[in-house]
Amino acid sequence: MDYDTYAPLASWFESTWLGGQMREQFWMFPMMETIHFIGITFLFGSLLVIDMRVIGFGRFINMKAAMKYIPVAIIAFAVNLSTGIAFLCADPFRYFPNIAFQWKMGLIVIAGINALWFWFGEHKELSQLADGEDAPFRAKVIAALSLAIWVGVIIFGRMIPYVEY
Amino acid sequence: MGFLIWLEEGALGIFIRESLWGYPIVLSSHAVGMAIVMGVVIALNLRVLGYAKDISILAYDKLFIIGWIGFIINLISGLILFCNTPTTYFFQGSFQLKIGSIVLGGILMKVVMNSVRGNTSETMTKVASAACIACWFGAMITGRLMAYL
Repeated sequence: MDYDTYAPLASWFESTWLGGQMREQFWMFPMMETIHFIGITFLFGSLLVIDMRVIGFGRFINMKAAMKYIPVAIIAFAVNLSTGIAFLCADPFRYFPNIAFQWKMGLIVIAGINALWFWFGEHKELSQLADGEDAPFRAKVIAALSLAIWVGVIIFGRMIPYVEY
Repeated sequence: MGFLIWLEEGALGIFIRESLWGYPIVLSSHAVGMAIVMGVVIALNLRVLGYAKDISILAYDKLFIIGWIGFIINLISGLILFCNTPTTYFFQGSFQLKIGSIVLGGILMKVVMNSVRGNTSETMTKVASAACIACWFGAMITGRLMAYL
């Protein structure tokens, strides 16, 4: 990304109170990182229950009950969005030009679109599945994509410190 | 100590320290494995603690297989990462606590599953389940802190 494009936004992030705290309190960054890690396990665990049921691997999980993990996933996502914004405020000039960070953000947007497609396109029909009943192929594709995209998000996230120039 | 030095000087140690992409790739695998193991542990224990009660706990059996795959990914990637500087890690308090938490968390997971299948009181099962989650969180917290302490 071009420096002039992100510099004004990055400067704003850097000037926030949160950014200052993240840089000044030595325990803030590790604490936020730990919460970010715990958040992804809640998010990914919820997706495993829902998506594996749809894919058919955990087919005897009650589909309608599995949907109860959706709020868990949403809360976990909110936690990780918040902690993620904290990292961004701490050092935005490090993240904006970082290629792994850019891919991670792009994948999260795609995951979001995929989740909306699941909710508006498949959720109703899936909720009526009996235990052990196979989901439609289209829904299985969405579920498999969801897991694959989040694995990608985790990988690119972990790569952020190693692709700096 | 001799063994730790042998590991550090061995092929895996050299690979993980010197290969450009070796370390980040193995570390990323460790993060993916973590999300899988911890994801299954959390989803299952949430159910044991009373969330999403309409799902039969035994229906999570298949997810357990996925959890084990995640565990194996992390055992292998963890061993390779350990070879980076075994002489440091081995004596690091946060590393020792992490391994201790994983062992205890694994045993407690087994205790929880046995209680679910047997006729242990619901309260005892939930206590074991809460302790199990606490241990796995402990493993994640100490694991992250290894980079700082």
